[in-house]
Amino acid sequence: MDLDARKIERPHPSLLKYYAIISLLTGPGFLVEFPRLFFKYETLKYRFEDDGMSMSWGVLFRHEINLTYRRIQDIHLSRNIIQRWFGLATVAVQTASGSAGPEMKIEGILEPEKLRDYLYTRMRGAREVDEHPQDEALALLREIRDLLRAKGQS
Amino acid sequence: MSRRVEEATLWMYRGIWGVLTRWFRVPSEPPSLPVGAGEQVRSFRPANGFLRYLKFKFWMALVIIDLAILAAWSALLIVFPVIGFLLAPVAFAIAVLPDVVAYVAIHLRYDTTWYVFSDRSLRIRRGIWVIHETTITFENIQNVSVNSGPLERFFGISNVTLDTAGGGQSGSKGEGSKSATNYHQGMIEGIDNVHEIRTLILNRVRHSRSAGLGDEAGSAGWSPAHVEVLREIRDELQTH
Repeated sequence: MDLDARKIERPHPSLLKYYAIISLLTGPGFLVEFPRLFFKYETLKYRFEDDGMSMSWGVLFRHEINLTYRRIQDIHLSRNIIQRWFGLATVAVQTASGSAGPEMKIEGILEPEKLRDYLYTRMRGAREVDEHPQDEALALLREIRDLLRAKGQS
Repeated sequence: MSRRVEEATLWMYRGIWGVLTRWFRVPSEPPSLPVGAGEQVRSFRPANGFLRYLKFKFWMALVIIDLAILAAWSALLIVFPVIGFLLAPVAFAIAVLPDVVAYVAIHLRYDTTWYVFSDRSLRIRRGIWVIHETTITFENIQNVSVNSGPLERFFGISNVTLDTAGGGQSGSKGEGSKSATNYHQGMIEGIDNVHEIRTLILNRVRHSRSAGLGDEAGSAGWSPAHVEVLREIRDELQTH
């Protein structure tokens, strides 16, 4: 993988421009929408770790979402025209919870395809998991077999 | 004559595509999937029948709407002849312009829909204004359903819906029925080789030995390695 997602902590500055445009498109709603999105952008933080990720935002009402890669059900990448102009996208990540909407919407990443593939290679089923190294039951069974063999040969 | 028209429309359509790819950043190539060594990726579009199905629906809607516009305009012409005569170009424009846009949109919708299969997962791309790409691993698929209406059956196409775990009705949040798509679903619309695709997906789902809820494949039960050692123990006991 070319992209090291662990280095991503903040959204790209062009996300703020995108937020400005979409709040302008709401017309008079700009006065309400832009401050909200501005503070969301200012406080938005991502953290990608080896087995999970988290994002947090908010000034008055703080939000924080944590999830592990293995619990990802499906990944959605959507780009509208304005986002495509900036090279941005929304990467929506779904777990098996009961809501119809995505659990986590990652916005403002400049290489969204690479981030998506980074997440994809870490979700379950993307790679073969043949044997767990610390499988105690398997180790015990092997031990029993070897003991029996040794007994049979003596 | 008709050939010339065909060439001209093809040329115009290519022009539209050029504008789309350059100015609206619509990708013209199919989406890719990261794969391991020796794995194959297969990408395809909906069947030709899907395009004919969309066009048929388009012509049906066109006839109904344009008849309504014609009826309204004729009524106006009879009651106020002068205003009706003046409004003729406007009525004509209302009747024709949206049709052209809709017709082009149907072609674009068809050409921007892609289904990509690898050995482990699938990716669906759809949309022109908002390009939406869904990635689902076969391991996470809970059920596969195949649907087709009478009109779709006539054109020999079906839709395959793949559900992953997690609930939620589409549009239940009241965000408008069209924009609120169900995120726990993958729709493979308008394909004619349904049986092949269904068995392909189901075989992969059967191979997966977990519940598709994020549990590790090894810890969910006996893995083949466990069974192998258990057999060896039995054989060892039998021989002595």
